Amino acid sequence: MDEFGRSIPKTISGWQASGEDRVYDRDTLYAYMDGGAEVYLAFDFRQVWARKYASPGPNPKELTLDIYDMGSPEEAFGIFSCDREDPGAGIGQDSTYGFGLLRFHQGRFFVSVMTTDEDEASGKAVLEVGRAAVTALGPSGPGPDMVGFLPRESLRPDRTSYFHANVNLNNRYFIASENILGLDWSTDCVFAEYETGSDKPGCLLLVRYSGAERAAAAKQSFLTSYAPEAGSEGLVQTENKKWVSAVVRDRYLIIVFESPDPDWARKLSSSIQIPQK
Amino acid sequence: MTHPLTRRDFLRGTTAALLGASLGFGQDAAAAKRARVVLVRHRDVLDENSAVNPDILQGMLDEAVMKLLDESDPVKAFAKLVKPGETVGIKTNVWSYLPTPPELESAIKRRLVDAGIAEDRIGLDDHTVRTNPLFVNATSLINARPLRTHYLAGMSGCIKNYIMFAESQEALHPDSCADLGSLFKLPMVKGKTRLNILCALTPQFHGRGPHHFSRRYVWSYKGLIVGQDPVAVDTIGLRLIMAKRREVLGKDQELPPVPKHIQLADTRHGIGVSDINAIELVKLGWNEDILV
Repeated sequence: MDEFGRSIPKTISGWQASGEDRVYDRDTLYAYMDGGAEVYLAFDFRQVWARKYASPGPNPKELTLDIYDMGSPEEAFGIFSCDREDPGAGIGQDSTYGFGLLRFHQGRFFVSVMTTDEDEASGKAVLEVGRAAVTALGPSGPGPDMVGFLPRESLRPDRTSYFHANVNLNNRYFIASENILGLDWSTDCVFAEYETGSDKPGCLLLVRYSGAERAAAAKQSFLTSYAPEAGSEGLVQTENKKWVSAVVRDRYLIIVFESPDPDWARKLSSSIQIPQK
Repeated sequence: MTHPLTRRDFLRGTTAALLGASLGFGQDAAAAKRARVVLVRHRDVLDENSAVNPDILQGMLDEAVMKLLDESDPVKAFAKLVKPGETVGIKTNVWSYLPTPPELESAIKRRLVDAGIAEDRIGLDDHTVRTNPLFVNATSLINARPLRTHYLAGMSGCIKNYIMFAESQEALHPDSCADLGSLFKLPMVKGKTRLNILCALTPQFHGRGPHHFSRRYVWSYKGLIVGQDPVAVDTIGLRLIMAKRREVLGKDQELPPVPKHIQLADTRHGIGVSDINAIELVKLGWNEDILV
């Protein structure tokens, strides 16, 4: 990743690169971030290249540019998709910007540009640094195949997340204090939100396991811990008057949360375009 | 069989009860441990730019420690914690986005000196405590850090602050950092912690971005949570974080996933009290928006 040190300008809108550029890998990432490293390690994270910029003038403000090599465009989309709360910024394949934090993905790279001293000038600099960085990242890449399985009708596309591990699920949508779905590096997950006609969306969790037996065992584990009163259809009304359902198709576990009624859950589950063997 | 805490427990409104009973792990009634925790707040400890007023902060610390130890004089209170001739390590936290305020470090150091500890026998460190001679030789430790959420452990409090004493930090990461309580049984640490100070001047109740920090999720609470039991102190800290999350993010996001290490520090490692019913919470000072 050293090429970024040459290809990304050291002066952008008057902000100057400060200190040494640094690179961290899977073994050293903890030294760089306290609180988030595990999230990256749950993906195919390879390295992060980091540079700081300081504003011109006295009492300089600081911003940080991080470029994460996530190994593939699918993984870069994944880490980007797990933390989307802000509007788009039109940078890279997809982006969000708010309160001094720019996040985007491009090809196999995920990028964040952040200042903790956000004002109009530093916010503008964050976006300028992001625009300068994206030109160094190469072409776009495809997203995860499982996102393509989702029914498009009523989907909130900017709320779809892709990940592998329980730590990502629980930060996206808390289900349980234990890993009751048996998620790990070998599982692929998509979490999506759908309009229901009310202010609360319905939610879909689609998990791909290595085999049908694992998917069936995960369903059983889920029902035992989360919905023990569910019948053979795996459907139950929860305390907020919404419905939850769990079904298995081949090696896929499909769980619908926050469904307004049983039919809505059934229809969403059956609409998923799982490829034929 | 242990029943995991689930989203449905939030919907039922039973999370508080479950957390009080340590996430479903049974309490040993026979043990009947109790702990006192002091929450002290002052409206003017921060100015409009979040700059700390050191004199007010010193007063808050003094008040809290006096109340904690039933003393009427701050120096006498600190003299109950440490003795002249000791070597004392102040385990601080240097996380760049929200470090232990230097004004708090100074306030602690001042009272240690007042209590008879030689200045050159007081260590102040975070990342290099394992090799710092003042910590290697310390006979007493003071544990001081800010209160914030953590993507993996749920909450970073006084228990997690000792992770720098571990030979391998990574070894403590599995299962949402469940076994952080074991840190207090390391030979370098065991039986030495005299005071735990969870700095809640500007706690962080939610995280965003790679470094899990965004100013939008930090608020001016202007408090210190102080106790001799790190588990009890963190239990109160978690209650505060949960209350703020409930207020801002909604009921179904009140618990940062998943701070099980606090309860397990009690039930698995036996280093303190996590049962809210066994914690005497004493509140001093400013009461507005106190949340706990």
